[in-house]
Amino acid sequence: MSHSGTGPVVSFENVSKHYGSLKAVDGLSLDLRSGETVALLGPNGAGKSTSLDMLLALRKPTSGKIEMFGSDPYHAVKSGRVGAMLQSGGLMPEVTVLELVTLVTGLQPRPVPVATTLRRAGIESIADQRVDRLSGGQTQRVRFALAITGECDLIVLDEPTTAMDVETRQRFWASMKEEVAEGKTLLFATHYLEEADQAADRILVINRGRLLADGTPAEIKARAGAKQMSFRLPGANEPFLLGLPGVTSIDVRGDVVHIQTSDSDATLYALLDAGYRPHELEVGGLGLEQAFLTITAEDDRAGDTAGAPQEARQP
Amino acid sequence: MRGTLLLTRAEIMRLRRNRRYMITTLAFPVVLYLLIAKSAKATVYGVDFAAYYMVAMATLGSFSAALTGNAIRIAQERKDGWVRQLRLTPLPANGYVVAKIIAAMAISVPSVVIVLLLGRFYGGVHLAIGAWITIAVVVWLGAMTFAALAIAIGYRLQPDQVQPIALLIYFVFLIIGGIFFPLKGALQSVGKFTPTYEAVKIATDVAGGASVPGNLIAGLVIWLAIFSGLAWLSVRATAETV
Repeated sequence: MSHSGTGPVVSFENVSKHYGSLKAVDGLSLDLRSGETVALLGPNGAGKSTSLDMLLALRKPTSGKIEMFGSDPYHAVKSGRVGAMLQSGGLMPEVTVLELVTLVTGLQPRPVPVATTLRRAGIESIADQRVDRLSGGQTQRVRFALAITGECDLIVLDEPTTAMDVETRQRFWASMKEEVAEGKTLLFATHYLEEADQAADRILVINRGRLLADGTPAEIKARAGAKQMSFRLPGANEPFLLGLPGVTSIDVRGDVVHIQTSDSDATLYALLDAGYRPHELEVGGLGLEQAFLTITAEDDRAGDTAGAPQEARQP
Repeated sequence: MRGTLLLTRAEIMRLRRNRRYMITTLAFPVVLYLLIAKSAKATVYGVDFAAYYMVAMATLGSFSAALTGNAIRIAQERKDGWVRQLRLTPLPANGYVVAKIIAAMAISVPSVVIVLLLGRFYGGVHLAIGAWITIAVVVWLGAMTFAALAIAIGYRLQPDQVQPIALLIYFVFLIIGGIFFPLKGALQSVGKFTPTYEAVKIATDVAGGASVPGNLIAGLVIWLAIFSGLAWLSVRATAETV
């Protein structure tokens, strides 16, 4: 750990990136602290990739300020403090895996032995193969290997396990844990929610370029409405159910009712007090995936409402 | 600096493995020279045909190495994301472009040397040692213009656009630059402004013992400045899209 001082590893201060009228990132502020494993969650087009691109000095923010290790992103990247793997990153063709890993290791001010990198990325067996003749999953592992060729302090990964099979994915996270155990900070974007749930100790949910939620996986789930209730209730009255205490959303299909609620006890007692007697009652915790969908769907609804008067003004 | 050198070494290794690249830069001028050098007995640009054709083929080899392969490879590597990947490493920002130029220049050395050796031992060209070295250096350094042009095209265009456009520019400059046949009359009045003609003419003037006109050297320098400027603009314009 050579992170100097106690300041954040990464900080975004009111960062925006606009492409014409499209606000890909819209006033994003966040801090990453040393040693954290942080998952960046968001639907397609939420601004994840643009945010990572700006963090890695591939794009410049329209406004706002990004700092990494107290300097600007470009110098942080060029000083070898960041190892990164992006979906859009490619490999140099016409060389072997070993030659490529050796080359990129040579670019690092604090290189990791090539043999260690090959082992951690699980690519020892394909070291002598030509880079342009690898399968999708093998290519992904080589790209990961390039991200860990230096003794960096921050690892940034965009959708790291795409194109990996289940076993490779598990091996990948095992080797990732080795890196994090050395005290590195890890930031990864993913759309596999169970991965974020298992690997991250902090989750950032972004949608439409803004930070919607920031907390531990448990906090994110709690924020979305912690519990899911389901029961059978013939003739259920939707407006009445929505008005029950704690209820955040309902879904009625025939006689079967699904409710998301922040306080399942209060919801249930109010239902019983009103004289209803539901059958087949089940109460359970909400998965991260449902929490994520709830949070982003709420935000999209809020965005639609906010946008409505503008649309109405158009001739 | 060390990173740029490592990348340059890797680029040269890749080029040497690429058979098509080696054929166009090495075999093409050698075969043409063997076929054509002795087919005419004429004096061209003040020297024997065999000497003119030796200079022309050495220019063909070095200029080809600098342009055709590099432009397409740069466009492809940008599309594939390798250029983007390199930007995530500690390699200096200009390291990729510098490595491409040095590698192209290095890989063109053998074709220049081999064609000049053929000129001496097959074409019967006799020159003083100083003239040989000057010719080699002129033909080789002249290709810097095309190396810069390759960066300008490769950074600006998609891979499928690069192939036809690079080939078009390449053949126009080769033909009106007097690489395949010497220029006369109207064609020469236009062609004398091309970097290919300027490189060949400077080298034949050296071979013929004539003094080299300053405007030819100035012409090459101006082309280098124009193409370098275009390359710089292309790299800058695409900084956010690699």
